[in-house]
Amino acid sequence: MAKALGIITTSGNRIHVEGLQAHRPVSSFSFVGRYRVIDFPVSNLSNSDIERIMVYVDADQNPRSLAEHLGTGRHYNINSKRGKLQLVFCGAAAVNQIYKTDIAGFLENFDLIERAAQEYVVIAPSTMVYAQDYGKLLDSHIASGADVTLLYHRVSNAKEAFLNCDTLKLNRQRGVEAITRNLGNVKDKNIFAESYVMKKELFITLIKEAKKISSTYTLAEIVSDKCKELDVRAAAHEGYFAAITDLKSYYDANLDLTDLEVAKDLFRPSWPIYTKTTDACPTKVSEKGSIKNSLVSNGCQIDGTVENCVVGRSCTIKAGAVVKNCVVLAYTTIGKDVHVEGQVVDKWVTIKNTKEIVADPSKPGYINRDDTL
Amino acid sequence: MNQNKMLGMILAGGRGSRLHDLTNKVAKPAVSYGGKYRIIDFPLSNCANSGIDVVGVLTQYESVELNSYAASGGRWGLDTRDSGVFILTPREKADQGLDVYRGTADAISQNIDFIDKYDPEYLLVLSGDHIYKMNYDKMLSYHREKGADATIAVREVPWKEAPRFGIMNTDADLNIVEFEEKPKEPKSNLASMGIYIFTWSVLREKLVRDMADPNSSHDFGNDIIPAFLAENRKLVAWKFKGYWKDVGTIDSLWEANMDLLDEKNELNLADTSWKIYTEDASALPAYVGANASVEAAYITQGSEIDGEVKRSVLFTDSVVAEGAKVIDSVLMPGAKVLDGAVVTRALVANNVVVGKNAVVGSADSEEILLVANNVKGDE
Repeated sequence: MAKALGIITTSGNRIHVEGLQAHRPVSSFSFVGRYRVIDFPVSNLSNSDIERIMVYVDADQNPRSLAEHLGTGRHYNINSKRGKLQLVFCGAAAVNQIYKTDIAGFLENFDLIERAAQEYVVIAPSTMVYAQDYGKLLDSHIASGADVTLLYHRVSNAKEAFLNCDTLKLNRQRGVEAITRNLGNVKDKNIFAESYVMKKELFITLIKEAKKISSTYTLAEIVSDKCKELDVRAAAHEGYFAAITDLKSYYDANLDLTDLEVAKDLFRPSWPIYTKTTDACPTKVSEKGSIKNSLVSNGCQIDGTVENCVVGRSCTIKAGAVVKNCVVLAYTTIGKDVHVEGQVVDKWVTIKNTKEIVADPSKPGYINRDDTL
Repeated sequence: MNQNKMLGMILAGGRGSRLHDLTNKVAKPAVSYGGKYRIIDFPLSNCANSGIDVVGVLTQYESVELNSYAASGGRWGLDTRDSGVFILTPREKADQGLDVYRGTADAISQNIDFIDKYDPEYLLVLSGDHIYKMNYDKMLSYHREKGADATIAVREVPWKEAPRFGIMNTDADLNIVEFEEKPKEPKSNLASMGIYIFTWSVLREKLVRDMADPNSSHDFGNDIIPAFLAENRKLVAWKFKGYWKDVGTIDSLWEANMDLLDEKNELNLADTSWKIYTEDASALPAYVGANASVEAAYITQGSEIDGEVKRSVLFTDSVVAEGAKVIDSVLMPGAKVLDGAVVTRALVANNVVVGKNAVVGSADSEEILLVANNVKGDE
């Protein structure tokens, strides 16, 4: 489907994930061990035959790992001759965080958008995890005759989760009346999945109009303003949905997937999620090792106890160690007889001298990248 | 970088008939090994890691799966401007018509035109069905230091096993003076590994003559090496130390997998300085359920364990359901062991389902059971 240009946005200035984000953008966060968050939107677009994809990259947010991970895009099944996975840098010149909006990024690269030959744009977030067939969404958008179609996910825990997300206020015909922030006062909400479908021409008009109103305006704000004059409709997303807005939501989303039924809802055989392989060998569990209710990536050596965890690639869990309710990122070592509970342990960490680090899963802790404890 | 110091040719045409039903539809080099690999990943990764850019893969027996697998040179990083993996199957030639490969040497002879295109100084000839890590560049340095026409990799085998191998008899400087295929009374315990480096101009001339010889079986061991010796060509042995396994039988394939559980296993697939590359599966990390028990196991992405796994190797997309037991066994890609089934000392072939409460294999059986077809269980 060559008729749509895929655009993946940055986390903008709204999301701050304690610890993790100091080292890489949210899009580059490790997810369920072997994936990164960006794998979901890119795979969704690629599986939808959208092969011209611009990934917006905040130049100020350590983009190294993201650039390395995306590479030429070949591992996303994108034909490198016919299609293109393009890293579009933005935000380097922002003098204040308030200017770091999606609109500012689009304006910085306006010529690229204008020159793209596609009639439609499909815009997807890099901070949310879900599977979505954008081909179907685009088809239904065209068939409906709407100006803009927005994707949302219905939740019933909006009081305690998705607090930093936008919501869609809908009328009875699934027309969008406004896009408003989730204030956490009502449990049932339509969380905006931050995916948009519209004609490229309209997209360009909206960018220009947003700029005129305010240099800090976002695409969501201008679309919300336009709900009265344009035909803005909503489409419901079905299946697993997570928004990464802080450490807790990141932690919860990873551990959600240790339930295989939930994981299978996100990873469907007909809708593969691609990632970059590191060619790590399989994982070895020794006689002393024990694993329960966990997802363990390749290249690990498990000699200790792992329970309710997501373990990244090439980690070492030594004998006597107990790792419970943790998200452990790649290349980390949990030493002999160390007890770690309720933590997000970043990459290249060695915990050997501090024998006990325990937090309640309702308030997970974070262990800094490269640290020895 | 221009080709080519040394070009690699992998002999991957054999069936490996002692693997029985495992190789009914796939050639031995395409057989799965070690959780996520196929046997041919080893010579191909060794080539890539040794800086060999162009590799020909000679296939013949049931080659559809093997050809499509090996043709994706990108898996081993061999898809740059000056590199590639080329599948060479027997073809109809303008002057001779169609012919199958009549022997290992003939497979190379029939592709002289391919090799000439790259004009290499040396030719590396490998077998596609052994598990080992080797730096062929080191072997080439040795070949050049010795000024040899041919260098053959050898490994020391226990004397009592020597009669099972092709044995190289050498002088004190490791010059090969005699080659004996499966000698009853071996004079040496240096067994050929089927890995040869030839100075290409010398071999080329020999192959052209061999092709025309009606009495030749066109085999490296039977014809080419003896001819080199008869002409007093310089043949040297290069001693290899390290893990090497011919996984020619179900027992040895099982054993080679089980070796991976050994803490001291010399193959050390976790060594990141010499990675073995393979096809990438789009699969979740290995999943282990709340009631599962995993003890001494090699598990990989895409495997799902809800039952009990002990001293076993699980491949991509294998499933051990709740209440099932897998002990001292190998589950090949996609193999499923359903609720309550027990698998002991068995190798369950690709995509085979062991049904509910079925029992296969036994702890006291001497041989490893190959489970090549679905096993019916309780409905």
